[in-house]
Amino acid sequence: MAEGTPDIKEARRMLGKGICIAGVGETEQGIISDRGSFELLTEVTRTTLDDAGLQLSDVDGIVTAFSFVESTLMHSTTLADYMGMKPGYFASVAVGGATAPLMAVQAAMAIDAGLAEVVLCVRGDNTRSGISSSGMIAMAREMSHGAYEAPFGLTTIGGYGLLAQRYMYEHDIPQEALAAVVATQSEHAALKWNAMLRDVVTVEDVMADRWIATPFHAMDCSLVSDGAAAFIVTTEARAKNMKKKPVYITGIGEGFSHQYISEAESVASVRDGLGRAGRRAMEVAGITPQDLDVAEIYDSFSFTPLIALEGFGVCGPGEAGAWVMEGNAKLGGKLPMNTHGGLIRQAHLGAMHHIVEAVLQLRGEADDSSKTEFNGGNHQVPDAKLAITNGSGGILAATSALVLSSEPPSAA
Amino acid sequence: MSEKPAYTKPLPDLRPEDAAFWEAMKEHRFILPCDDAGKPFWYPRKYAPGTLSATSWSDASGNGTVYTYSTHFIGPSKAYKGDPPHIVALVDLDEGPRMMTILVKDEDGYPSLDPEDVSIGMKVKIVFDDVTDEITLPKFTPAG
Repeated sequence: MAEGTPDIKEARRMLGKGICIAGVGETEQGIISDRGSFELLTEVTRTTLDDAGLQLSDVDGIVTAFSFVESTLMHSTTLADYMGMKPGYFASVAVGGATAPLMAVQAAMAIDAGLAEVVLCVRGDNTRSGISSSGMIAMAREMSHGAYEAPFGLTTIGGYGLLAQRYMYEHDIPQEALAAVVATQSEHAALKWNAMLRDVVTVEDVMADRWIATPFHAMDCSLVSDGAAAFIVTTEARAKNMKKKPVYITGIGEGFSHQYISEAESVASVRDGLGRAGRRAMEVAGITPQDLDVAEIYDSFSFTPLIALEGFGVCGPGEAGAWVMEGNAKLGGKLPMNTHGGLIRQAHLGAMHHIVEAVLQLRGEADDSSKTEFNGGNHQVPDAKLAITNGSGGILAATSALVLSSEPPSAA
Repeated sequence: MSEKPAYTKPLPDLRPEDAAFWEAMKEHRFILPCDDAGKPFWYPRKYAPGTLSATSWSDASGNGTVYTYSTHFIGPSKAYKGDPPHIVALVDLDEGPRMMTILVKDEDGYPSLDPEDVSIGMKVKIVFDDVTDEITLPKFTPAG
């Protein structure tokens, strides 16, 4: 492993404690109108504790996110109270789509600081069924500057569209490249037991779909869904006595380029800003993109994973579209991507499901064939040992990435 | 004088530091905030981003180039229902900064430019759309 800068060494020191994910869980996803937000969070906590072989009383830290439905400024402690916990460590993380990997980092830092040993990271909401129309408008306006963007009728989709259209112009990317991301992930979602959209679509289907904001058709956009997911972060020492084989967090990284899309300097600067998260996570882990077996890449829109693949160094600038069109991102391809269907086909819960899926892949448990009642299939990448996963908040504004490994970090 | 129909699309959040800008817009003058070295920036803030220096306002040409755009077939609120598509764009101003705007025809009521008439790199100039008695929005139209 290369020497690394002081901050890289410090990250390795922390993760060298054997910080790992010892349990995961996810509920059904989609339209769940018979359960409230805290109910979904509790349901998935039960599933996740069971996965790890733990009782609620074993958990001494809780990290949550936020809710679009149950508004509270103290989300983590409100949930702790609802579930009857008295955690020694609690935090609510709110950085949009970057939240899930940041929750894992928050948990790791709490463990490193001695504030907790077993940290429940849980996020979920009944965003689809429970949100009011004013809540929806507030959500749509959230990513716009209130004075200098919102009055021009910008939507979040169009904000991504501005960057995507410039990217396609600079690199001469065909519309088919975006559609290929959707088609690829639809093949994966068809196998994932709880994906909302189970039908396989072709590039032609996506191209013929109705426009929302150029360059995005409806199928290029992520879903709005109800559901919850969770994971438990702990140490190798504690995980030894738990039910499942731990999956280690061996790399962490963050990157920021702008808040408002008007402020994004260039396609290259956005690629570099978000790419820093993945490049740093891989540097901490002491790996290169060629070492990866599976990639669960944030996919708010079909364009989103393309620029991330380039930023992380999996592909060169402007090359990710052709790379996906060649089939490299498919199961059986060079680097299978979003093997659960992602935000575009499975469900939208930030990057929570990307983390859960990466853990299932590295445990060799991504074969849903036994889930016959859900018509599940096998989306396991054979012998997967190393995964990268990320989340981005805003319009590719803030990104957090993790490298996950089936093996503990090697000594630096 | 007939009364204008109520404007139901999003209006800017108003903060004290932005008052001079919206006041100038109302007078159909386009001004940009500048740092203490006279370099213009966008979006307006009381203190200059990066250095937190004092700022001042300077007149701007209102000329620019389309950096990118996205044709919106669905708007952010019900007020857009039934409208033809609108084109949100980022424009590189001749003075340097990049700002968001909407591309329109230079006609009464400033209707949306037709999507086939937009391209990255096209030259545009400002028009002042008095959407309410208090608020004038800086919109852009093809130059020349």
